[in-house]
Amino acid sequence: MGDYDLVDVEVTHEDNDELFDSLSRSDSDEHLQTLQAVRLQAGQPDSELRSLKQLDEDSVKMLEHQVDAAYRALFEMDGKALLADEVGLGKTIEVGMILKEMHFRDTDDSVLILTPAQLAKQWQAELLEKFGLEFVCNYDDEFDGFGAHDYIIASIDTAKSERHRMTVLNRNWDVLVLDEAHYVKNEETDRYDLIDQISYDYAFFLTATPIQNELTDLYNIVSLLRPGLFGTRDVFYHYFVDSNQETLVNREELQERLNKVMIRNRRAETDIDFTDRTIDTRTFQPTPEERELYEAVSDYVKGAYSEDQGQKLVLMLLQKEVVSSPAALKQTIEKQLHEQSELTHTDELESILELIDRIDTVTKQERLLDIVEEARENVEMGRVIVFTQFRATQRELLDRLATEGYTVHSFHGGHSSEEKEQIVTNFEEEGGVLVSTDAMNEGRNLQFCNIMVNYDLPWNPMKVEQRIGRIHRIGQKREVYIFNMALEDTIEEYVLERLYHKIDLFQQTVGQLSSILTRLEDTGSSFEDEIFERLANADSEIDLENDFDAMAVDLEEQRELAEKLEEFNSGVFQGFDLGESDD
Amino acid sequence: MTDAALSVTQSTIEQFTEEYLHTLGCDINKQAGRWSVIVPEEAETDIATGKLTLVCSTDPDEVGDEEALHPESSFFHALLEEASERSPTGRVSITAADTEIILPSWLVQSEVSLKKTEFTPYYDRTALVALFRLGIETVSEYQTELLHAIAVDTRSDEILPELSDTLLSRTLIGQETVQCERTQVDPDSAKQLVKHVRETVVEDIQPRIDEVHEAASRSADAEIEEYRRLQQQRIEELEEARTSLVNRIDDLSVSIEESDGQEQRAEALKKRKELKSELEEVESELGSLRKRREQGFPEKQREIRERHALEVVATPVTLTEVQYEQGEVDFTLTNQTVTRTITVGYGSGVGVTETIECDRCGTALSEENPVSWVDGEVRCENCSSP
Repeated sequence: MGDYDLVDVEVTHEDNDELFDSLSRSDSDEHLQTLQAVRLQAGQPDSELRSLKQLDEDSVKMLEHQVDAAYRALFEMDGKALLADEVGLGKTIEVGMILKEMHFRDTDDSVLILTPAQLAKQWQAELLEKFGLEFVCNYDDEFDGFGAHDYIIASIDTAKSERHRMTVLNRNWDVLVLDEAHYVKNEETDRYDLIDQISYDYAFFLTATPIQNELTDLYNIVSLLRPGLFGTRDVFYHYFVDSNQETLVNREELQERLNKVMIRNRRAETDIDFTDRTIDTRTFQPTPEERELYEAVSDYVKGAYSEDQGQKLVLMLLQKEVVSSPAALKQTIEKQLHEQSELTHTDELESILELIDRIDTVTKQERLLDIVEEARENVEMGRVIVFTQFRATQRELLDRLATEGYTVHSFHGGHSSEEKEQIVTNFEEEGGVLVSTDAMNEGRNLQFCNIMVNYDLPWNPMKVEQRIGRIHRIGQKREVYIFNMALEDTIEEYVLERLYHKIDLFQQTVGQLSSILTRLEDTGSSFEDEIFERLANADSEIDLENDFDAMAVDLEEQRELAEKLEEFNSGVFQGFDLGESDD
Repeated sequence: MTDAALSVTQSTIEQFTEEYLHTLGCDINKQAGRWSVIVPEEAETDIATGKLTLVCSTDPDEVGDEEALHPESSFFHALLEEASERSPTGRVSITAADTEIILPSWLVQSEVSLKKTEFTPYYDRTALVALFRLGIETVSEYQTELLHAIAVDTRSDEILPELSDTLLSRTLIGQETVQCERTQVDPDSAKQLVKHVRETVVEDIQPRIDEVHEAASRSADAEIEEYRRLQQQRIEELEEARTSLVNRIDDLSVSIEESDGQEQRAEALKKRKELKSELEEVESELGSLRKRREQGFPEKQREIRERHALEVVATPVTLTEVQYEQGEVDFTLTNQTVTRTITVGYGSGVGVTETIECDRCGTALSEENPVSWVDGEVRCENCSSP
């Protein structure tokens, strides 16, 4: 009790005779509604996420912490929030819910989502598949600039480029979403400047690691969202950091202020529980014919690239196809020969075609049969998903598996949405093998299957993560088995053994990878390009090995840095009950 | 006792409105947030007649000349008002078949595995569940309105906290309807029961009362302090006025003594008299103010504190007679090798109705001292600690 005198309290009990009188003449059919009405009269108007019931539960499984975060960001933080959940808890889903709700309430006439370049398309697919929200991406053909569309997902660097910057800044956006918001931690960068100047009504910033180096990173990010919340930079620093010890002081007050703008869910506090994942990487000795083909294609790619770097995309394709299937390779080469009027390498390409024709046994195809047979014997309805990047490989596999008597299903980007739906239903009901290209998108609910085969490997690790995410997701109750197939001494084996295993790609928590990759992007490199450049430019086998080792070291460093950051942020926010204290 | 208020969301009020209109016999045709409602002539309601269009929106342009349906709309408030007065008393039955077995805290907190529960009803009992509207009012705070439920056994007068929870959760909006019947309890007995529990209801909201009480007391204190400051300011003003008057009177006295002209002197004398009377008034006010200051302005304090006093008003607003089953429940406990059964008095919707003591030490089982295994026997946790 404080040091003041208390005022009097008078308690009155009203008799309400009418109530007791009604007992003798009660016609009680409607008593239940009276109870409810009285309870509603006593209740406070409450906001709710009204769009949630419109969502398809098969497309998106919403978790309590996500719904709660979306609710708080919208209604308790007035639509300006820093979503800082730990990795893998579904920050994108939270933003999807927020945007869906804003759409439902008609408060989203213009929305700009800025992401790292590598994640833009993924955002676009997720928002469409899970929430039915259509966005145009700056990588789409129909993208006509920032003034031409109202719902845009773009890489932050495109938005800040000379060409687009003024258009972005000249509009007033209803909603701004900024993924990997730690990108704007430094107030002296163009990125920070762009976000600082963009005009918007609502903003949602996402990052698992709001603090990259020092506490002022947090100050910068939060100040973009809520200018003034922390006062001036100097005051903030002096008040919250003990500069002698480099430790936090006045934690409670920091928490209190952060609570007004930041939501951080921790993995340990949610009910997310992933089952185990077993990785079985199988490398096989190619036949002499396959080896000869591989060498010929690799030599050709190297030679052609050194002559003309403009052909990079098609050369990269050939290099990927040669380890996927001779059929895929054949199709591209024939197309090349057919389409190009001024071919400089006709002879080489034709001799590659001859080598392809000499191949009778496709080793990976044979070995795939071992895996699916094992599954047929041991797994419910023998369900296996086989992923390949190429339609030609897919066709070959389907033919071969059908010939061997397996029930097969084919999934690729050419199907309509209804057909895709039907294919997944058939696969669930009939079992057997689903051979899919990477068109199998986020929204598909495939956790009824727990075996996946990477028949070939994308050079973009995000794609590998997406494949895994199709079956190893919330709701998967069984242990998940992932088989990786590669031919010995090929680019695929290098990528698999020297890179993907180094960063523990196959054991990563979903979401963890993006923090590693966006760190790489920050240094200006693209993963696929790097792989190809190293391959094409290596003078010898040893050079190549060394190059890959060097890349692996880089990756490992980035992974360690990402992990350290995660740990650091957990440490800083430990003891902060950032999600609950206002309840 | 339970907080009985429901959150008022758009979906809840839509659901409630639809159910209420159906009860009135209305026909509803819903299309994209617009409800075309036909109210039958014989419907006993004052909220609408004939045809009516409800628009689920807060946007006046969208609503136009129709009725808006949202938590703040006047139509919804009128409907709520009518529904809340329609049938404040009724009777429902809660059987074991309708509810899950309520586990006692000494079992919930325990690490002992529960293998099976089995309830055997012996006879029916009745309880009265009252919803109390509790208003806490004071000038400095917004009025606090609470709604609390309390259940009391009609025969034993025992308060049954779990039963009010059970009734509230069984009668939520949108749930399968429980059957309501005519009440059997007579008004006098009901009155006695309500009298018996009403103090408890107020006691249970005591923390909230304390909170408002402290805030109101702080406001009163602040007001008194402000009054004190004003009075101090007034004292200072009066002191200044007094000094000035004294000076002016002194000056006049000098000029009277030194004055040669009769008329001038008379004028000064008159003026001095006026000033002296003014000085008396000032000194009198100053004296009285200083005295009051020394005493701490008791009257003003009393007046302010009275104005800030809290008024708590408790009013029973609904009475639900609840018939429940009384019997025994068997909790079969196991530790993989041994299985033991504890039989204990139990009421449907009420929970365990008797205290269980540890066979070894005689201590009552509780949340803090849950049941435990000791040498293959069911004991309390205290007995299992070395």
